[in-house]
Amino acid sequence: MSAGSLTAAGLVKAFGDLRVLDGVDLQARPGEVLAVLGPSGCGKSTLLRVLAGFETATAGTVSLDGTALTGPSSERGMVAQAGGLFPWLTLRDNLAFGPRAHGRGETQVRAVVDDLLKATGLEGFADALPKQLSGGMRQRAAIAQVLANRPPVLLLDEPFGALDAQTRLRMHEWLRALLAERPTTTLLVTHDVEEALLLGDRLALLSNRPARVVEELAVPFGADRGRQVLADPDFVKLKSEVLERVLAA
Amino acid sequence: MAAALLEEVPGATAVRRRRGGTRYRRLLGFAVPLVMLGLWQVAASTGLFPPRLLPAPSTVGEQLWSFFFGRTGTLTLQGVVPFTGAGPEHLLASLRRCGVSWVLAVCVGTVVGLALGLSSIARDLLDPVLNALRAVPLFAWLPLALVWFGIGEGSARAIIFVGALWPVLVAVGDSTARVPRVHVETARMLGTPRRWLWRRVYLPSALPEVVTGLRLSLTLAWTCVIVGELSGTTLGVGAMMNSARESGRTDQIVVGILVFAVVGLLADLVLRAVTRPWVRWAGA
Repeated sequence: MSAGSLTAAGLVKAFGDLRVLDGVDLQARPGEVLAVLGPSGCGKSTLLRVLAGFETATAGTVSLDGTALTGPSSERGMVAQAGGLFPWLTLRDNLAFGPRAHGRGETQVRAVVDDLLKATGLEGFADALPKQLSGGMRQRAAIAQVLANRPPVLLLDEPFGALDAQTRLRMHEWLRALLAERPTTTLLVTHDVEEALLLGDRLALLSNRPARVVEELAVPFGADRGRQVLADPDFVKLKSEVLERVLAA
Repeated sequence: MAAALLEEVPGATAVRRRRGGTRYRRLLGFAVPLVMLGLWQVAASTGLFPPRLLPAPSTVGEQLWSFFFGRTGTLTLQGVVPFTGAGPEHLLASLRRCGVSWVLAVCVGTVVGLALGLSSIARDLLDPVLNALRAVPLFAWLPLALVWFGIGEGSARAIIFVGALWPVLVAVGDSTARVPRVHVETARMLGTPRRWLWRRVYLPSALPEVVTGLRLSLTLAWTCVIVGELSGTTLGVGAMMNSARESGRTDQIVVGILVFAVVGLLADLVLRAVTRPWVRWAGA
């Protein structure tokens, strides 16, 4: 089992003449949540797709604990914006998809799935189809689907972007608790400063397209931060500072 | 709590309400044939139409009965198409012909369709040819089929096969080509080997459209049975109708039409019932 240190070195991605990533250097340390923040359309999703192995970098490397990576693998679990749940499978079968693809036995699969159903609070919905779940439930399930393979690295592409503000706040608290229970190196891409500060241990700020990392900073709030931190004057101040920097990037 | 939450899903209650309404609506479907039957009987018994053009429903009913249950004098002379009591034999012959060709068309259509949907090279290579072939009217294949397979069974099966092939092929090809990228990527990321993607992702995702294609294809196959049986088979509902036309038996022709209609309807109902569990996720 790898420790989960994900490193991007000098990543360049160009689609024809369009240069989207312009030498991105990033490191997500084992067990931390690195929030990658950037203006809309700066290439955040592309960065994540390259890290996940869905796109090949034009130049530069992605490595996990020092080993260079090519192509997608279950060591980097990616949750897309709309979630990757398969609409034709029940929730239980969706969660079991990864372990089954790895040829795990049904007893083991069942244990993993039951555990994740509990962690997502979706025990009562094991036999429901994705379309029967609410948006928040679906995103929790999509994260659980990826975690079923116990990946050392979790890649989240604005996973709560489509949810309403209250649901999103609940999701943030839920995800923090979940990651506290199962430490997983997490790279969260978002344009939402509040989300980045609530979830991230560190922030990496991207420039406008073509994207580079312009600044990295540690988030000075504890791992147990909940919604009460929103009222903390330091939080409010940092939030507006970071927002200014994103807008100026 | 789970049930209460599910109740909040807007689709769930809407579906239930609609189902309640259709319980009586469904009966409406039987009203139209009954009214048609009544008008037909009136038209026939008042002599509005000469029986040679349109026999009375009662006459057709008698013939229908004798087709299936009449004292059999079947298979008298070589090449003569029997009628009385030969119904089961004709129907079985047509069903077998249709079934064999349809299953073959489904297999070939699925394989070629998957190739078209999954490989852009296959698509570039085959699409123009297939689209051109698809535009050829079914009747245009008949002379060629007769030359290749001779009069009778082979030609009939070939015609049915061609008719049933396109809907499956197009449905499988189009729907697999349109499978959302996120599903394919998620499956890969979760550890599905590339060679199993068609089974784990493409086929299930495409299934609702494929089932529609299968239904269309089965209906078309059944429709093509009569075209195929015009190629000179002596057994089959179409063969019976052809022979009835030669001897001017309109009542027997109408019997054939009724058999085609009822069996076609039943076949579709059976196929829908069988495939319903596969596509439940896509339903309303």
